[in-house]
Amino acid sequence: MKYTYVIKRILYSLFVFAVVITLNFFIPRIGVDDPAERYYPPQGNMSEIEYEIIKQVTRQQYGFHVSTGQQYMNYLKGLFQGDLGTSFRPGSPAVIDLILERLPWTLVLSVSTMLIGVTIGILFGVLAAVKRGRWQDTMLLNASTIMVALPAFFIALILSFYLGFELEIFPAYTDSTMVSGFTWTWEGIRRVAQNAALPVLSMVVGSIISYAQGTRNAVIAVTNEDFVLTARAKGLKQSTIRYKHILRNSMLPIVTSLGMSISGLIGGQVVIEQVFNWNGMGTLFLEANNSNDYPLMMGIMLLLSGFTIFAILVTDLVYVLLDPRVTVGDKR
Amino acid sequence: MAKRLMLLILVSIIIIPLVGCESPGHSYRPDENTLYVGSVQTSFPSAYMPWLSREGIAPTIAGMLYDSLFVYDEDSGNYLPAIGREWYYVDEDGEPILTEDGSIDYARLEEIYGDPEQEFLAVKVIIHDTITWSDGEPLTVEDIYYSFDIATNNQLSNHAGALAWTSDLRHKYTNGVLTQQGLFTYDHGAARQGYEIPMEDKDTVIYLHVNKVLGSVTPLFTSVLILPEHVWKPVVTRESQLNSTSPNEEILYHYSHPVGSGRWVLDAEESGSQQIILHRRKDYHRTKEDGSPLIGIDTIKYVLYQEINVAIYALLKGHIDVLSSSVSSNYLRLFENEDDLFVSNAPGQFTQTLVFNLNPVSSERNPMRDLLQNRDFRKAMALAINQEELIARVLDGAGLPASAGLMSASLEEFYNPAADSLPADYSTRIEEANAILDSIVPEKDGDGYRLLGDQRISFQILGSPGEQDVISFLQIQLQKIGIEVKYAAKGTQPESTYLYTSRFDMTLHGVTFSLSNVDIMYPAHFQTLGRTSNYGRLVNEELNNGIHEMRFTLDLNTKYDLIKRIQPMIAEEYYKVPLYTPNVISVARTDRFEGFRVVEGATVMNTESLENLRKTKGGR
Amino acid sequence: MRTKQPMHKRFQRGLVKRIKNTGLFIKRLWSHKQGKVGLILVSFLILVAIFAPIIAPYNPYDVSERTTKGLAPSAKHLLGTTINTGQDIFSMLVYGTRVSLIVGVTSGVCIAFVGSVFGVMAGYLGGFVDTLIMRIVDIMLVIPTLPLVIVLTNVLGRDFWIIILIFVALGWTGLARTIRSLVLVLKNSNYVKAAELAGASRWHVMIRHILPGTSHLVIMSTALSSAGIMVAEAGLSFLGLGDPTAISWGKMLADAQSGGALLFGAWWWILAPGIGIFLAVFSFMRLGIVMEEIANPRMKQTSSVYKIFKSLDGSYIEDVFNSMDDDQKLGIPETARQGGKTHGTHLEA
Repeated sequence: MKYTYVIKRILYSLFVFAVVITLNFFIPRIGVDDPAERYYPPQGNMSEIEYEIIKQVTRQQYGFHVSTGQQYMNYLKGLFQGDLGTSFRPGSPAVIDLILERLPWTLVLSVSTMLIGVTIGILFGVLAAVKRGRWQDTMLLNASTIMVALPAFFIALILSFYLGFELEIFPAYTDSTMVSGFTWTWEGIRRVAQNAALPVLSMVVGSIISYAQGTRNAVIAVTNEDFVLTARAKGLKQSTIRYKHILRNSMLPIVTSLGMSISGLIGGQVVIEQVFNWNGMGTLFLEANNSNDYPLMMGIMLLLSGFTIFAILVTDLVYVLLDPRVTVGDKR
Repeated sequence: MAKRLMLLILVSIIIIPLVGCESPGHSYRPDENTLYVGSVQTSFPSAYMPWLSREGIAPTIAGMLYDSLFVYDEDSGNYLPAIGREWYYVDEDGEPILTEDGSIDYARLEEIYGDPEQEFLAVKVIIHDTITWSDGEPLTVEDIYYSFDIATNNQLSNHAGALAWTSDLRHKYTNGVLTQQGLFTYDHGAARQGYEIPMEDKDTVIYLHVNKVLGSVTPLFTSVLILPEHVWKPVVTRESQLNSTSPNEEILYHYSHPVGSGRWVLDAEESGSQQIILHRRKDYHRTKEDGSPLIGIDTIKYVLYQEINVAIYALLKGHIDVLSSSVSSNYLRLFENEDDLFVSNAPGQFTQTLVFNLNPVSSERNPMRDLLQNRDFRKAMALAINQEELIARVLDGAGLPASAGLMSASLEEFYNPAADSLPADYSTRIEEANAILDSIVPEKDGDGYRLLGDQRISFQILGSPGEQDVISFLQIQLQKIGIEVKYAAKGTQPESTYLYTSRFDMTLHGVTFSLSNVDIMYPAHFQTLGRTSNYGRLVNEELNNGIHEMRFTLDLNTKYDLIKRIQPMIAEEYYKVPLYTPNVISVARTDRFEGFRVVEGATVMNTESLENLRKTKGGR
Repeated sequence: MRTKQPMHKRFQRGLVKRIKNTGLFIKRLWSHKQGKVGLILVSFLILVAIFAPIIAPYNPYDVSERTTKGLAPSAKHLLGTTINTGQDIFSMLVYGTRVSLIVGVTSGVCIAFVGSVFGVMAGYLGGFVDTLIMRIVDIMLVIPTLPLVIVLTNVLGRDFWIIILIFVALGWTGLARTIRSLVLVLKNSNYVKAAELAGASRWHVMIRHILPGTSHLVIMSTALSSAGIMVAEAGLSFLGLGDPTAISWGKMLADAQSGGALLFGAWWWILAPGIGIFLAVFSFMRLGIVMEEIANPRMKQTSSVYKIFKSLDGSYIEDVFNSMDDDQKLGIPETARQGGKTHGTHLEA
């Protein structure tokens, strides 16, 4: 029974992915007469004939000399081979190479934020749940209310200003040698940590509070559940109840939310990376946007979407397969 | 529970100091013989295709790794030697066409080549015999032949720009087959063509056939970077082209380990997407007069910054020696109080102009734009533009007024003051402008704007977001004569969406006219219709004739005279009205190196500076 | 069966009723402790936006009022002037209210409209319409929001109204989903069944019966979406991708950063727009939460997560996801959360 659900779910994900691929292909082609012009915009000092030659050459270079339908087919073929297209950058590097180069750096920030956010967040959340109604709890609620309204990039700017420029504790802008001079030595890692400090700090505050609030609500909800009452009635120790029953059961929603937020991991950091000039996928995307580098932009979008679909699918399945209480009715 | 919390806090307290503070002794410029240069780009190239794109730092680096035949000197109009040593126009026997004192005999040139039957000009180039490539191989004219030859063969070179550079070279390939030969060396048919090259000169002499325009040699001499035949010929084929988008391993290796004949060599191992390291070539063929090396430093390290503020921060903190990107005049205040800084506030060469759409295609005509077809109307608008105010308010004074003939006033021999005949006093100008407009569109509405019929005269100026400032000031200036203008966003593809289709009223357009490019630029901006910079589709018979004559005259002196004559014609069209020529502002630190030079149109990181830099006495 | 009154009389009566209800509603908001705060702040912002020309000492759109660049705060310029253009920062702050509010509220209202229409259609009509709409929602959910907005502004242009259109086009999905869940419940309520039996057409039922039943959600979502869109717009303008002619707080932050505020030490240039954004978003969110609590007072008692565990139909997993995101920080009950989930998650980080 569950397995049909699993298969249906996977098929559905594939369907969504297929639609996303198609959208991905066609969106940049809106309003473009001749893609070659986008790459090699005409220069004032070129004659008509020269420019025509140049356009032809460029078109062939990027595969635009065939019909749109054919281009779509080529695109799909390329995707199956793991080829996300060629960027418009000088040197025409492959999109996939550019992305893979920057991806680890984005993950450094995301994973750090997530780890710190989850661990400290859960701790604070449990604390607030336990001290429900007391000052710890209210403080968390107030913090949550404020954090929603305060954009992370604003925090980033403030931190960058005070801790970076004024007090010079951490570098206000990412040092470019962090990436180029990177080695797996203590020095290299220390450099990365130094530069990552402010970006992570900007994001982690919101993350901690978010997870804290979530944990607090989950714990309180679970505490009111029947099985906890039963456990209490059975006379189990308070701590056992806390750890074995409450915490573990409230973890499941937290885990699922983790799964969802993974998709936000990569894409959502764009602004923070911009503020600190951190060389991750966020800045790569913005660069691509500024230079109208469509293959690169769409490559990143596709990757992010694919990743999101995957994350949702996995969390979905994990939840379904693990939680014994779930009976799989019809999906909608 | 509380225990866990305590543990976590303890751990964090331990980690943070380890991770945290900047170690005070960290040195960013460790090597004393290296010049650390910051450059603001999206990225550095990781592979150097021989003829790189126009974007980013690639052309600069290419210019340092490779040489062209000659370098154009704006002030004198001469070609200075680089790879080439001398060059001449020659007659059909290969003899230089010179006067007694050794300069080009234009009269005879016209005589010999003036005949319409004569299809080409013949040029002879002699190169230095002491040049070697960075891998030790000697450079010969065969490399020159190879470079030009492959540029014209698109099947092998796959570089659109190279086609443009060699468009005036009469050496053509069609579908990979040589259909017209225009290059001749000892080993490539010089004798057959009638050019005698003695055996001992076989490596240093090359003859070229070019179109009969004096400017046809310019891109060939100055734009084409000469490539080593022995490196590329073995690996370039139809399948793996010179500028391949998916290079195979061999070609990729050569991309990342470029072999050039320029002053600098790339340190391929250390360079990457965030930094570029160049070492000075100790055996560069040219030296100073006393034999000492041209360049005083041994190594240059380019450091990538993605934002100008980051780069300025780095400069101020001493992470780099030089900022090679130009900065806006807003930052001048910041540099005022710093010691150890050399601020180069150099006159620029690029002029910002306001372009009118004075001849739109019929589907884009409307009564408002028809006003622009009236030259006096345009003159009035030109009168109302106050360059001094724009320079003071927009550029904070870091700029110079530009001539209406659009030629730089610093090129004294070629600048024609007759092009700037409008009154100097601004109030007089406004009076005159209002007088002109009163005779065309005298009625005004309640706000003081002139009316066409019962509609307020209002135009949109296309611009990029950064140009909103200028346009706002133009608003005020034109308000004084009762014309309304507004900013309209240019969009991402202005040329094909608005400018080529004449779907605009006015736009801002930057131009750079210099002696070396007038042959291409004048027609493109003022003559040719279609997909050129003649956005407003100007058609002026007299101007066209002038430009035509200027391009095809074979007498350089006549040519210069004609350039002078064209300037007032351009000015009086009031078609591209100059707004200002902004200065190029850049900064360098003088704590380790000194000798930076200010060069017009360039940042502090220019060839003269490099030739002049020496370590300071107290430097690290 | 009532006799049909003349059109204008019915309209009059309806209008009076609505005005009365709105008045009551506002009164209730006011009496709520936090509602007071929200109401005051929102009204304050609206007033600032409307009376901007009077409140601001200079007109930042007027070039002739620019002066020396980079001045520090003084009596003449409460927050100093910008480094790159010499405009008065305080005036820019005041005028920025207009942009933020217009973008936020317009988008919020449009999202409410589009989302509720689609949600009701999906929930009530079911079948093919339902599947179609929900598939679209799924697909849009999967594509990362901020990058998609960026791509669309690149392709469609950065005009003020186009940006609003893009926000609406991407933001209706959350609300649609929530409304749909509610509609599924309402579908089975007695009065709807009665209307159906009486022979009312499907459209009639949808408009006269179901839609009003979702009204509390819609209203509350307007407030919450507006808040979310304001943050999104600030983020977009900060990246430099918003309307270049409009003075918005996000753009002020962008200009501050690119103009070198950090280098020059002009912290006020950064603080002011940030506080502006915070106030606007905070007040609208407050309002939204309070509205929800008023409309469904029962929901205040039980924790939403509890309700999630209770409802074990197949779609709860997505509900769990949605409920665990940023909005949850506020302890907003489940259904309310659905409405509030617009761009908060993806753009916040």
